Parts: sequence; C-alpha cells; structure tokens
Amino acid sequence: MKRAITITVNGQEHEEMVENRLLLVDFLRDVINLTGTHVGCSFEGVCGACTVHLDGVPVKSCLMLAVQADGRSITTVEGLAKNGVLSILQQSFTEHHALQCGYCTSGILMNATEFLQSNPSPSEDEIRASLIGNICRCTGYVHIVAAIKTAAQRLAATRLEVAK
Amino acid sequence: MNAHIRNEGDWVGASVNRKEDRRLTTGQGQYFADKKIPGTLHLVFVRSQQAHARIVSINTDAARALKGVVAVVTGADIRTQIKGLPQPVVVPSFAANYPDFWPLAVDKVKFHGEPVAAVIARDRYVAEDAAALVEIVYDPLPVVTDMEAALAEGAPIVHDGWASNEMFAMNYTGGGTPESEAAHARKVDEALAAAAVVIRRRFRVHRCGVTPLEPRGAMATWDDDGLTAWITTQRPHIDRLALSDVLEIPSDKVRVIAPRDQGGAFGVKAPFYREPILVCHMARVLGRPVRWLETREEHLMSVSQERDQIHNIEIGADASGRIVALRDNAIADNGDGCEGVYWGFVMPFFGAAVLTNAYDIPLCDIRIRVACTNKAVLSPARSFGAFAARFALDRAIDLLARELKIDPADVRRRNLIAELPYTTATGVHHDSGDYAKVFDHLTTLVDLKGFRAEQARSRAEGRHIGIGFSVGAELSGVSSAVLVSMENQPGFGAATVRVDPRGKVQVFEGDAPQGQGHETSMAQVVAQEFGIHPADVSLTTGDTGTTPFGSGTIGARGGSYTVSAVANACRALKSKMATVLLHDLKVEGVPSDVSFRDGRVFLTADPTQGKNFAALAERIVMAPLGLPAGMQAGLDQTEFFEADVPMLTFGAHAAIVEVDPETGIFKILRYVASDDFGTVINPIVVAGQVHGGVVQGLSNTMFEEFVYDENGQQLTATLENYKIANAADMINIESHHEAGSACPHTPLGSRGLGEGIPGPVPAALTNAVCDALAPFGIEVNRLPLRPNTIWRLLQDKAASKG
Repeated sequence: MKRAITITVNGQEHEEMVENRLLLVDFLRDVINLTGTHVGCSFEGVCGACTVHLDGVPVKSCLMLAVQADGRSITTVEGLAKNGVLSILQQSFTEHHALQCGYCTSGILMNATEFLQSNPSPSEDEIRASLIGNICRCTGYVHIVAAIKTAAQRLAATRLEVAK
Repeated sequence: MNAHIRNEGDWVGASVNRKEDRRLTTGQGQYFADKKIPGTLHLVFVRSQQAHARIVSINTDAARALKGVVAVVTGADIRTQIKGLPQPVVVPSFAANYPDFWPLAVDKVKFHGEPVAAVIARDRYVAEDAAALVEIVYDPLPVVTDMEAALAEGAPIVHDGWASNEMFAMNYTGGGTPESEAAHARKVDEALAAAAVVIRRRFRVHRCGVTPLEPRGAMATWDDDGLTAWITTQRPHIDRLALSDVLEIPSDKVRVIAPRDQGGAFGVKAPFYREPILVCHMARVLGRPVRWLETREEHLMSVSQERDQIHNIEIGADASGRIVALRDNAIADNGDGCEGVYWGFVMPFFGAAVLTNAYDIPLCDIRIRVACTNKAVLSPARSFGAFAARFALDRAIDLLARELKIDPADVRRRNLIAELPYTTATGVHHDSGDYAKVFDHLTTLVDLKGFRAEQARSRAEGRHIGIGFSVGAELSGVSSAVLVSMENQPGFGAATVRVDPRGKVQVFEGDAPQGQGHETSMAQVVAQEFGIHPADVSLTTGDTGTTPFGSGTIGARGGSYTVSAVANACRALKSKMATVLLHDLKVEGVPSDVSFRDGRVFLTADPTQGKNFAALAERIVMAPLGLPAGMQAGLDQTEFFEADVPMLTFGAHAAIVEVDPETGIFKILRYVASDDFGTVINPIVVAGQVHGGVVQGLSNTMFEEFVYDENGQQLTATLENYKIANAADMINIESHHEAGSACPHTPLGSRGLGEGIPGPVPAALTNAVCDALAPFGIEVNRLPLRPNTIWRLLQDKAASKG
C-alpha cells in the first residue's frame, strides 16, 4: 500500500509516494537522501542516533512512519547550520572534541538544540539527564556535557546582545 | 620534544580542533550505510533460533515466490561454491583446533543467531518479509553454555568430529615439555608453601563487550575489474587477502574499501567475519551489487561479545606484600569459535599472557584452557582479552593487602616493575618509562593520605566511602615480533606521504580508523615536520586500491606505529627537499643545515636564503631538471615503521565511591587516570580516548551483560536488555598524562593509547566498593558489579555472622 505524502524537511517541501510501512528514518535516508540521520538500534528508540525535530519537538525517527509525518515539518542535522555557518552548539561540539566517530552526534545535536531552548541555563546534572535518550560509545560523555554547557553560555550571551 | 611546552608553529602537542568534525557535525559524514549504488540488492540473513541442533530441512519455496526476491541461499548451496574457513591468512600461528565453517551453517547450528540462510531481494523490507517465510526444521541437540561444563567429561560436543570442546590450551611458563612443566609447577608450589601469606581465589568476569553504535555492513560489486567490497572493517588489507583465498579470486581482482567514516569499532570490526564473504560471493553469482546492513539485534546476537573468563589465582607474598609466586589456571568461554583471525581464543590467550603486566612477578605458573560452547564466538573488544585478567590480578593484590593490613596502594607500588626494560614470566617485553612515578602521581592527584583521613571521619558518621586502584601496561601498537605469531600478520606501521607541486600534502594510510581522529593527528605531525599548516594536509585511509599495506587499526597502532611511519616518510622527503635546496643555492652543506618553518625551507644559518615550501615542491616535481646527481624526481615516500622493541603504555587508575550498605547502591564520586602516553600529539583527543575507554570499562563492569538461558537462548539482543551507560549514569572522568615522558623507541616519542584504557577499570571500581565496605568484610570477585550483588553479599555476611 502506497500513499502520497508531503513533508517539509529543513524548509524544503518533498512530495513522495511511499509505502505505508516506510519508517520516517528510511524516508529521510533513502527517499530524500539525507543520510546525516543515523540508525544504531533495532528500531527500539534506545540509541537516539535517529533523533530529528518534528514541528520543533525532538522525536526518534525510527519509531515513526513516514506517513505519520505527512503535512508536518521536520528538521534534521543537515538543517542546523545556516548558510554554511555552524550553529553555536555545532561549533561548541567541534571545539570541545565532543565527538569521536560521530555516529551518535546528529541525534545528540538535535536533542540538545531543543533542550537548550527549553532550558537555557542548565546545570550539569540537567544536561546529563537530558541525554539519557542518546547513547555515545566513544566519548564517555565528558566533552559532550562540556560542549553543551559552553553552548548554553554562548547562547545566553547572544540573547543578551539581542536584548541590548 | 617535550609534550607540554609549545612554541609558535608547533603542532605536535596542540589541542587542534579536529578536521573531521565539520562534516560529522553537519550530517555530511560518509558511513557505510550512506554509500549507495543504484540497483543494489539487499541481503538479509535468516538466523538460527536454536543454540544447537541438526538442520533437518530448509524450505525456501515461499520465500522465493515472494515478489521482489531474487535469490535464497543455504549452507548446502554454498558449501560447494566457495572454500570455507580456516584459510591461512586469517589463522594465527598457534596449535589449536580450528573448526571448519562456511558463511551459512552446514548440517547443524551451533549458537542462537548463527546464519542459516540468506534472502536477496530488491529492497530490505521485501528481503525481511521473505526471510520470515523461510521454514527451517531443526532436530535439537543437547546444549552446553557453561565453559567448565563444556570441558567436563561427557559434555555435548559443539563441533562434529572433535574429541572434546577444548579448542586451545597453553602453559605459558612451564618450559614446553611435560617434565619441565611438572618441575616448574613444583617450584611454584614450594614458593607458595614458603610464602608468608597466600591468597587463593576464583575470579569470574562475565560476557560483555564494546558494541559500537554503528553496526556492521558489507556491500560488493562484481565487474571486469573483479570484486569491489565496502566493508565496515578495521583491516581492509587483511580482508582483501582473505576474500581472495576464500572466494578463489586472484588478489589483484579484489579491492576492499573501509568507509572513511566508521561509527566506532573498538576491536569488533577487526575479525574476518562470515557475513561479508557471502555478500561478496552473491555479488559475483548475481552480477549485481549486493548489500547487507546489520541490525542491532544481529549485532548483539553474533558479535561484540568478549571477556567471559575465569581465573583461578594463587599469589604468595612475603610479609611486606612483595609477591614471590603466582599461579593462574584460567578458563575462557569461546562460543563456537568460528571467526577469521581471532577464532575467539586469541583474546583469552592474550589476556593470560599479559596477566602480570606492569608487575614484577618473576615466578609464575600460568595456564589457560579455552572451551567451545553453544554461544556466539568471542570477538575482540578494547582491552583485548586483558579486561578479565586485569580484574583478577588487581583484585587479588587488594585482597593480599587486606590480609597483610597494608594499604593496597603500597602493596601495588611495591610490586610495580622498578627497572625497565623488563620481560615478564610470560615473555611480555616492557620497554621504558617510570611506572612508580606515574603511580605516585595518581596517589597525589587523589590525595590518598587526605582521603584516608576523610574516610575515617566519614565512617564515624556512618558514611561509607572507599578508594580503589588498578594499573595497566597495555598495547602501544603490536610489533611484528608479537603479531606474526599471534595473528600471522606483520605489525609494521605503513604510510605514504606525497607532497604535491602546490605544497599540499597527501597522506595514505592502509589502516581504517573509526573515530580516533587520524585525519587530525597525522596532519599535525606532517605540519610539524614540514613547517606548514594542518589544513594543507589530507589523509586517505582504508582503500586497498590506493593505500600501502597495513595490518589494520588495532592495538593502539595509530599513535605508535602508523604515526611513526608518517613522521619517517616526512623526514625522508625533507632530506630530499633540503638536498635540492642546497644544490640549487650552490651551498655546501648537509640536509640538517636546512629548516622547515612557516611555509618556508631555508638555511638555518641564513634564513634569507631559502624558498617557499610550495615553490620547492613544484621545482622538484614539475621541473625535475638539474637535480643533484643520481636523484630521482618526485616527492612520494612510503615508510614501514617497526620499533626496535615491542612497546607498552603504562597507566594507573583510581576510583572513589560511596556505598550505601543498606541497599548496595554505590555512587562514583571521582575517577582519575594517570598515564604515560609519551609525547602527546593532541591532548584533547587523548583525553577523549581516556574518557571513552574508562566509561566503556565502567559500563562493562556495572551494566552490560550478555545473558544466555539454559537452552542457549540469547536474552540480551536489544539495547533495552543490553544496557549501556548513558550520560546520567556517569561522571566526569579525570585524565592526566603529565607524569609521562617521551618514548625512546618512536621518532616523535609518542606512544599508542586507547586500546587498553578499559583494562584497569573493573578492579579499580570493585576495589573501591570493597574498600568502602571494609568494615563489613565482603569480597566481590565476580562481575558484573551491581547493587543487588553487593546487597546479597552483605546479607550473606550478616547471616553467617548470625
């Protein structure tokens, strides 16, 4: 069974005929070829590598069907940098060596981007708690936590600039 | 070069942001699953639901009939089409029983998850539908999942035709004949009998591993050029030779490409596995690209499983805690043992061989027996084989200290190797450094004296805090002297460095990194040598069509062997460039009179006389006229680095915990590592290796466990059940390397690191928990270390006191 769906991804509209059973993550990776979203578990929602934003809310794209995203707006890791300029969080990740193999990184960036919007000045414990839906096997999380902390401080400074 | 003092333009020793990270933070990485070829067919394995059973029949009719299915194959189909294993290139130089096997089970299945059939279809969804339609009739056989039961008389035999399940056995220290072994054992008996104190314990380390976040995969095409295979692998050049042998394709017709980006491996992607063989074979048979993308469930059922050892240890010491003799009768559970290169047993073999590493224990009696069982084969995991052995020995040393009422840190330090070089009873060469200094730095970092005072105060208040130590002397690359016997492969590090006419430098490395940051570290070294910027250096890895032969990214070879080959290649090219400069300037001199700095090559004595690096490169490559007599044109250099002696990297770990004796729940308060990494190329990358390695070790110790039930059913094939530490489970790991010193055996003074980091972790943590609970007198000698096991031990202790 196929269905026509329209999904806006990183601001661009995609009209596609897809199987009802196609997972959203497979739609992103295989249908529209945005391979920055990764799969690390058996579609059980544990590893978090496939995290994307659905209308601004982080979701695990392996736990959704593409047809469920019909008419909705998605942001993937490819949508974080603007005009080739890394987001404050992405930049902070590169400066803190918050990634090694990079496989989990997309999901963590998507999760943490939204987390810093909802909690602009988090404590370290809050940062760690916010990451329980993402497994990183390389870094031991130390540099990831540091990168998110730095990004929070820089985002606060940016907001202060804008307020002035 | 001192790692801690940096001058302008010094790239070695600088925390340079990684070159890899822009693409990896923007979703532009190119991992295995991201590579697509139009028209690719997808292969899905049908895996055994039984742990041990005869295959009575396989009905593939319904699967074949499904629309979109191209082929269904079974073991019976392929056993006549391709050679099975073993094949020499992936067999170590050890006497052992090597089971015959094919990519798909033939006649019988030996573990839950073994590939039995494969479906090839137009897409993965269809292939999975068809796989569910393959009907297999099994005749169950008795199952053996316990290593000691497997070695007992009358046990079910895993491999047809074998007299027992013993795959490998070794006496490391007995001299090789029955008489010499008996005499040696008597000597150890006597020393133990004469010792002031003897500790005899059984240490059990469970089955767990390293489980990279990216699963495995293989994709192959077949055309006039032969076979091209993209494989998630740490060893593309070895895979190429092995595929050539197994598929009987001339090696010049086989190209293996490890993707530039790999989502972690930690050893798991080093073996020559069955699945890529079948993918390559089917691409040839069908004449179309074929791809297999492993699911997490398959991964957890069939690979990433390591440790799983028992060590029966006796250590005797004098009253000061100085160890006079050691005996270890080790046993390992190898699963079915069907895996190229390692065959499961190479890890426990190595673990027992490095049991006494870092310690001066000259009189040892060390033996191991490795059993096949109805479980998945052991596959390599960071702290290769050594994780369990280190736990056993460093726990035993704490028990010894407790018996003697001496601080475990003192007993440990008293037994560290004091004078280097040193060769252990099992023949492991320890090259250089100052182990005591690195260990003393650790006790300073944790303020051991201050901690003991705080501990006494806390106990008076009813709080139970404890500290635990452990050490490691782990691989810093693997020399040919070791690797040829262990894996039938060379240990040299290989690299090609090419300076192009624009002054840009290309480096080619035959290994296949998986997140270690080679693009950055190698670029830093090249930039340092040539006096250019790391941005002007690019690295190509993993493609057997373009890179020099190397045995793979294993055993912390990057920072020891491979980087040394890169440095030596740069130095050879510098000598050539300097010679041309002197020749062109008509100046008498030797290459060492010439400096490379800030993008220029010039006379050190007169910096005005020189040339831009790029201009000199262009002159040599593009205008090779009037070169010094006998000199060839071009600026390509390939170097094969072999250290003069095998090298190790020493580290010491401390854990500080607080335990609630009511519940057994413990909290890690601090975790500190003090290491000798030699000259550090990129401190932030090095810190990342330590953080990640320690957390893997903690996760293994506290959470991860592969569980098989009595029928051999694997109960932990999802990440829901196979629990891996998350950020909230962990704390900030502290990494220190300032007590280290330059390694005298490498051109940069660097050592390899990363591989062995998890090794000291389980003993450090367990020693800390036991130290905290010292008033209760409990001993934890088996892993995993969990609140419920601690609670149970406390209850049993209380009950026995009645």
